[in-house]
Amino acid sequence: MNALLQKVYDFVDERIDLKTLEAKMMKEPIKGGSRWAYVFGSVLLFIFIMQAVTGVLLMFYYIPSADHAYASTQFIIHEVDYGWFILSYHFWGSSAMVVMVFAHMSQVFLWGAYKTPREMIWLVGLALFGIVMAFGFTGYLLPWDQRAYWATTVGVEIMDKTPVVGDFLARFLKGGPTPGQMTLSRFFVIHVMVLPGALMGLAGLHLFLFRSAGPAGPFRGTPEELKAKTDFFFPRQVWKDIVAMAAVFLTICSLALIEPVVLLEEAKPDPGDYHPEPEWYFLFLFQLLRWKIFAGEFGQFLGATAIPAAFMLLLAALPFIDRSPERNIFKRPIALLSWTVVMIGILVLTVSAIINREFLD
Amino acid sequence: MSHPATAISSVKLAWALSWAAFWTGFPFKVIVALLLLAAQVHPWEGTGLITLLMVSAPIDIWALGLTARTFFLERMGIEVRGPVGIGLWWQGAVLGAGMLGVAYYAVGTTAALCKKAAEATLGVVKKVIPIPVAEQITIELLMWAVPATIVLIMCLLIWLKLFGWRIKRFVVASGQTSSAGLQERVREWDAWRVPADSVLMLISFTAVAVLLTVAFWVLLPVTTPHRHPDYPPPQADAVKKKVKPEELLKKTEGTLAKAEAVLGSLEEEKAKEKKGKPKGK
Ligand code: HEM
Repeated sequence: MNALLQKVYDFVDERIDLKTLEAKMMKEPIKGGSRWAYVFGSVLLFIFIMQAVTGVLLMFYYIPSADHAYASTQFIIHEVDYGWFILSYHFWGSSAMVVMVFAHMSQVFLWGAYKTPREMIWLVGLALFGIVMAFGFTGYLLPWDQRAYWATTVGVEIMDKTPVVGDFLARFLKGGPTPGQMTLSRFFVIHVMVLPGALMGLAGLHLFLFRSAGPAGPFRGTPEELKAKTDFFFPRQVWKDIVAMAAVFLTICSLALIEPVVLLEEAKPDPGDYHPEPEWYFLFLFQLLRWKIFAGEFGQFLGATAIPAAFMLLLAALPFIDRSPERNIFKRPIALLSWTVVMIGILVLTVSAIINREFLD
Repeated sequence: MSHPATAISSVKLAWALSWAAFWTGFPFKVIVALLLLAAQVHPWEGTGLITLLMVSAPIDIWALGLTARTFFLERMGIEVRGPVGIGLWWQGAVLGAGMLGVAYYAVGTTAALCKKAAEATLGVVKKVIPIPVAEQITIELLMWAVPATIVLIMCLLIWLKLFGWRIKRFVVASGQTSSAGLQERVREWDAWRVPADSVLMLISFTAVAVLLTVAFWVLLPVTTPHRHPDYPPPQADAVKKKVKPEELLKKTEGTLAKAEAVLGSLEEEKAKEKKGKPKGK
């Protein structure tokens, strides 16, 4: 067995110089040794691959037309063998992606890994963040039930309020005066073609930049300690990554079983007694918009566009504003406080949005 | 010289061990929970919960033992001979069970009291300044969730303090200072965690994964257990009808006899027709 494996290895090695490749991929030194904190990026890659696999399986049956989207999704849920599970996995996988993107961002923020010379990794990361959110927004429409249709209608209306580009953006996405076939086609193409392509390209760039700069490593520890623990990517970090991926995979499967996807009524031009609501990871923003100061045309623009855009710009500028080389989060009080406030803010607003449901009926 | 265990705070020590042990055991527990779920058993109630708890205890003992041993060696330079997990686990579990009861009562009461107070306060304030619904929800939430969270954190800290105190006693009683240098210690604790033969480990990991996948697939329902009201399950009666061989045979015989009779009469008719027809055209 081993002799045979060796022969296969030698055969490939002669042709593509496997040894160098292996040395480059697996023997990457990790300063300070492997850590659980570094698993989030690899976990994101894993979730994305699984979303692609389940997404392709769903596309075998899904029909992106206003007449058939709903029926074909119901067919996947009720008729196709294990279709309900694949769809529910894909649904919960999207939530896991958002949670993990927040975890990864938090890790690199708290570890000060965005600082010189890793500014470009951080910037490409922000673009990846936008792509992950866009995946959620476009995917939400595809089942074409009341929830899908009205969340998108509200979302596009909010976008419409943006000065200068808003009108164009809304018309570009809708493809007509009201959401219909054109909207579905566009969202579908963006969801299954544009975003996956963009994500793959940018993730490749992200990794290339990461490998060029090298991992940032721990934010404290004496040089002696760091040197004692420095280690290759294989096997310890690979092992940690695999365990983390398995844990995430198992959790997504469990959620798919506990709360499988159940559609509402088919989309119709009247919301009836359904109160439009976006996916949970947009709820905090949605709840913020219910505040009085964000009422009215200008308020909506302020809450839905100006503040989020300003926040993203601030994040993009962060490595250039925060030039201090100090990476230890316990010596960066402003950074720690800001992160805590943002996280608690998102949590409180999300819970508020859930409590708010009771007041709507 | 003071004992190395006294250099670290009890809370930090207990937190480091229990946090790491929690995540070490987590993947194994999820596997059990997932198999239960696939078999349509809820792991949060009844038999499912009992099964999960029964499986969790040994997993936790093992995980706590592993993380504690490595932590003692790496951070304190202390080696413990003999089992570590079981001795620490039962103390943490007893303290945890007690604290869980206290926390349940304390957090519940705080939340209930603060909710009432928040409602009353907002009622008065609203008479002076109107507060819109969305703002009111968040203010009210903060008014009871912040105190309740503080009480919860206090309970957690008390548990950590007590557990940390027990861990220190354990280390002082059964640990011995290791003579090895830092580099050597790192290598040693690493050897406990990383198998010498990584390839063998990966192969066995894959084999277990394949086995579990098959078990999962066998248990997993083929069609959704949560049907939409407009999409009722396919009528099961048609398939379920009981087969009674004798009746079936009789019925078939009857059908055959009828068919024979029809054939016979058809043949007779044909023969008559032939006779009736003039020969040649
Ligand atoms: C789909 C989304 C993403 C994928 C697949 C991804 C993937 C990865 C991977 C595999 C690494 C290698 C090491 C590690 O995991 O820590 C990494 C590092 C990094 N990522 Fe991402 N990432 C994504 C999104 C983001 C976002 C949203 C940000 C921040 C805005 C970000 C910023 C960084 C930084 C600064 C590093 C370097 C960390 C270090 O040197 O320790 N990434 N990413």
